[in-house]
Amino acid sequence: MALLSSILALRRDARILKLPPYLSALCILVGVVWLLVLPLNEYSRNTYVSENALLPGQVHTYFTGSEHNIFRAYRHEVAALVDKPVQERSQKLGDIFRSSSLKVATQIYEYHASGRNISNQNVYAILQGPRADATEAIVLIAAWTNMAGEINHSGVALVLTLARYFKRWSLWSKDIIFLISGDSTSGPQAWVDAYHDSHSPASIEPLSIKSGALQGAVAVDYPAGPWGHRYDKLHVVYDGVNGQLPNLDLFNTAVSIASGQMGIGCTLQRMWKHDDSYQERLQTMLRGMISQGLGHASGPHSSFIPYHIDAVTLQTVGDGWHDEMSLGRTVESLFRSLNNLLEHLHQSFFFYLLMQANRFVSIGTYLPSAMLIAVNFTITSIALWVQSGRSAPVPNPASISSKSPKPDMTVAKKDGAVTLVPTSSLTIIERRLFLPLAFVGGAHFIGLLPLYIFNNTRQTLLPTAFNSTAIFTILLPLLTAFALSLFHRPTPQETTLIQCLSLLLLGMFLSALATLNFSLSFLIGIFASPLSFIRPIHPPQPNTPSTLTTTNRKAMSAVVSVLLAALNPVVVIRAATFYWGEDIVDVLVQAAEGWHVWGLWTQVVVWLVWWPAWFAGSVVVTAGLFS
Amino acid sequence: MRRLQSSTSDYYERLLLRPLPQSSLLASFNFRSNESSTSFEQQNFRYFPRSLGQILQHAHTKELHLRFSLGRWDAASWGQRPWDGAREGGTGVELWAWVEAQSEEEAFSRWLTLTNALSGLFCASLNFIDATKTIRPVMSFQPEGDHHDSSNLHLLHGTLPHEVVCTENLTPFLKLLPCKGKAGISSLLDGHKLFDATWQTMSIDVRPICEIGGSECILEMEQTVDMVLDVDRSKRPRDNPIPRPLPIEEIACDTSKHYNAEDTCYPLDKSAEPSWNLTEIFGRPMKGACPLTDEESEGSKTVCINVPPERTVQVNTTGPYVETKQADDTVRCYKLPTGVDFDLLLPEQQMNTALVFPQPPLFAARSINGHGQERGSVQAVIRNPSLTEAVEFVYLESLPWFMKPYLHTLRARLSTSPGNPIKETYYRPAVDRHRGTHLELRMSIPPDSTLTLTYDFDKAILRYTEYPPDANRGFDVAPAVIRLISHHSSAKSGIYLRTTSLLLPLPTPDFSMPYNVIILTSTVMALGFGNIFNLLVRRFVGADEVQTMGAGGLKGVIKGKIERLKARFLGKGKKDQ
Repeated sequence: MALLSSILALRRDARILKLPPYLSALCILVGVVWLLVLPLNEYSRNTYVSENALLPGQVHTYFTGSEHNIFRAYRHEVAALVDKPVQERSQKLGDIFRSSSLKVATQIYEYHASGRNISNQNVYAILQGPRADATEAIVLIAAWTNMAGEINHSGVALVLTLARYFKRWSLWSKDIIFLISGDSTSGPQAWVDAYHDSHSPASIEPLSIKSGALQGAVAVDYPAGPWGHRYDKLHVVYDGVNGQLPNLDLFNTAVSIASGQMGIGCTLQRMWKHDDSYQERLQTMLRGMISQGLGHASGPHSSFIPYHIDAVTLQTVGDGWHDEMSLGRTVESLFRSLNNLLEHLHQSFFFYLLMQANRFVSIGTYLPSAMLIAVNFTITSIALWVQSGRSAPVPNPASISSKSPKPDMTVAKKDGAVTLVPTSSLTIIERRLFLPLAFVGGAHFIGLLPLYIFNNTRQTLLPTAFNSTAIFTILLPLLTAFALSLFHRPTPQETTLIQCLSLLLLGMFLSALATLNFSLSFLIGIFASPLSFIRPIHPPQPNTPSTLTTTNRKAMSAVVSVLLAALNPVVVIRAATFYWGEDIVDVLVQAAEGWHVWGLWTQVVVWLVWWPAWFAGSVVVTAGLFS
Repeated sequence: MRRLQSSTSDYYERLLLRPLPQSSLLASFNFRSNESSTSFEQQNFRYFPRSLGQILQHAHTKELHLRFSLGRWDAASWGQRPWDGAREGGTGVELWAWVEAQSEEEAFSRWLTLTNALSGLFCASLNFIDATKTIRPVMSFQPEGDHHDSSNLHLLHGTLPHEVVCTENLTPFLKLLPCKGKAGISSLLDGHKLFDATWQTMSIDVRPICEIGGSECILEMEQTVDMVLDVDRSKRPRDNPIPRPLPIEEIACDTSKHYNAEDTCYPLDKSAEPSWNLTEIFGRPMKGACPLTDEESEGSKTVCINVPPERTVQVNTTGPYVETKQADDTVRCYKLPTGVDFDLLLPEQQMNTALVFPQPPLFAARSINGHGQERGSVQAVIRNPSLTEAVEFVYLESLPWFMKPYLHTLRARLSTSPGNPIKETYYRPAVDRHRGTHLELRMSIPPDSTLTLTYDFDKAILRYTEYPPDANRGFDVAPAVIRLISHHSSAKSGIYLRTTSLLLPLPTPDFSMPYNVIILTSTVMALGFGNIFNLLVRRFVGADEVQTMGAGGLKGVIKGKIERLKARFLGKGKKDQ
């Protein structure tokens, strides 16, 4: 009892109320430091293959000899098709597949995004596994153009040659589908959507032949022209749409076959040089996090991952001495491993951060980092809620000068004892919730506008749309605060409640998001973290001494507002594109394509979670200018 | 009648070879053994295998159809199925039988007897055909035999789509034959080659055949093995089966290509028919005729090959053989010599003519659409390629209970007309853990059109113990059976086709999780229980009360104990007073 009452008494303790900002700051600090220690040996692990059936690199590969001659011929054939119309290209590719006695079909697709018309054709062929019963299939993809827009000459030729070579084996226990997609992102998306019959039939053709449940997909990206190019390393790309990742076993198998069996170095996240130092591990991890946080498609494999089909892209990089046949043998060995699978890949991790081709941290280790950052908002929000229910602080009688008016006192009697209590500490404060609720709801609703505008504006108008949104969102808090001040609103309590509710929602969304897309939650949490520490600068209570003059107060509000404006999501996006030298229009076009084609929802998080929180925080600060 | 008399109590076997496009070869083995029903009932078995006969008698089974299948028939390139699809089953094992019984319950218990006995005989998991996998089809199957009294006959049907057919099923199959794979065409059946086939099916059909109006019946057992072999793959020697790339000299290059060079070769399609011979393809030679076959009549020509007349077929044997030509010389049949090896050699040959394969009456494909762990939909696409004839058929689905279809979402759309193609529906809903869904639809497709049948289903969540060891693979759903009704076919066996089986992924728990939970709860229990138990049983005494124990050592301890006992008894005594 004594313990309980002493805890209850703590509620009124002024020290407790001072604690939350420090607690929040501690959460953020620990969260960031947590992330920074992950690359250390003590906190990360070496990768390992969990699924025993995979047996990576345990088979001899025979893709050599005369297959190389055929590969060169197919590469010439592919090169001859470069400037040909799509129909003719599909016809010729189909003919080559047909000559290996495979079942061939094509698919026409058309998407509209940002006023652009993305249309092309997929060609695919099905090798019916001699040991298969049409229940399972694995996919080998070569997009006609890679992510950089180059023609994937050698990749396509390699798939054609491997199709001819695989047909001769009798050990396939799954069907193998060879897909040559029209491009690297929409083509595979259209194909995999149609495979699961979740496409829009108006613009995307259904697939005329299908096989069983897809168990895995491997894409090759090798844009060397008809005279070949020897590469140095394989760049394994694994990010899926919306930051989903393939099973770590698939990645590990690819790395262990390429580096262990074939002697080809593997690299990831465009880290061409990696000598396993702390900085490079951290950099790899952060690049992976940014890529995951953006959630964009990073290769032809990305569209498969939302359908729970594990997929990676093998991309050749650099100048070295590995040739197309070693890539072919890598794919052969990888397919032999996938062919061994008895069950869908499920043994290993789906949530991980990679910091080198053979080093990772799993969700249990890294998740607290994003969770702590999300929790900081919740702590502040609770503190603000408690604060909003408290009366104005009663000045210590000792410090009150004789000039100031004496606070009202009430006589309280209990059990025969009589005491004098300040009236203000006895009154019950009622929270006026209508305006805060309406404001926070409205802020989230306004977020729908930019979401709609950016996803449905023509490409030519996108720069105008972006600039006007930037100006509008920067000015909006000012205008809102001014408009509210005309009605002598919000009162200090309402201001506190606006911030409280907005941070409550932010904390809730981010902690939920951390389990789905850790990186996005972490990044937004970091950018939004100042929102925990801003406080409205109100004019002083009539009965308390003012430490600030009105001018100083307004100047401070203005400074904080300007600093906060720099954390406006629009400004952050602009600054990030400037830093990486990207064109903002390209980014917006990609995002709109993502919205319409890949089902990307990063925009939703930005406009309906991050932006409203920033807006509410901004209004809270700007209100100081007009009070 | 003539056939009945001549075939009473006799044995018949025939192998039909038919080269298919894409260098495939269809080999169709057919074995028939007859037994008069009187001698069958007296257990006087001659050609009919005793092991199977006794099982049938014990389980009161009047007609039996058992299928073991693997792979897919590629109807688009290979045309109509052998035996019009009547001698094949869905992937895995399929069994249906007419069982004689007074009541449904009795029929089912005899069915269980039958499946358990056959399971032992064929080394297959047929005993797993329980109530959840058994259905009683209404329209899809008709008895092939002649039954005097069909009122007491019950048709039961069960499938095991996940059963992998392999050599252990072939060995008992061959043992049922009178020549047991030692002579005759069955000497070609080798497990390695049979199960390397692109498509293969083994079937056993037992049916009574009766004289019209007469009372004399015979019991016929027909065994068939149909397989499609890939000629190139089968020709590889068994000790070197790896398809290594050919030396470049052996590949025909297209020299007309501008880039053709020593290191660049565009491979030409092989237009010539590949060369092959029986020994190469089947991995062993044919050991002459089975002595039990007829000596001279039609039944003596046990090996037939269906090739265009211009194709060269050489016979390689040391014994006497007879070659006859049938059907405009497109079928050549051979009477085998007894006791010596027999081989057919077909050299590589450039062909000018090709056989026309009859078009299948229907094409069918079925797939699961949608994704996720909660629901999905099944889509069956059935196409009628005929330009003139409508096709009426029965579509049979036997779904496991954990796949719960919604019948109100059943849609059948025709590509050519807006009408509803469903004429009749027979539906028996599933009962959780007791029986599966049974759906039969009678539909018709107008000429040259496609029927798309879709329905949605929910995925049930199974109990922890109901998952198989490979839970993450998914669950197999039996192929749909399609029986054509309207087609002019005199055969009593009917025309069938089957779709491929489906893989249904169900929500699967992380099976290591329960152990984690057990460990965690055990720890919490141990800590919590330990503390509370400690608090409950420990006696707290004031420090001054334990003075006697002081530094008394053992003596003090004993003294203390005595004190405690004393206190207890005295205390009690006080209370009593």
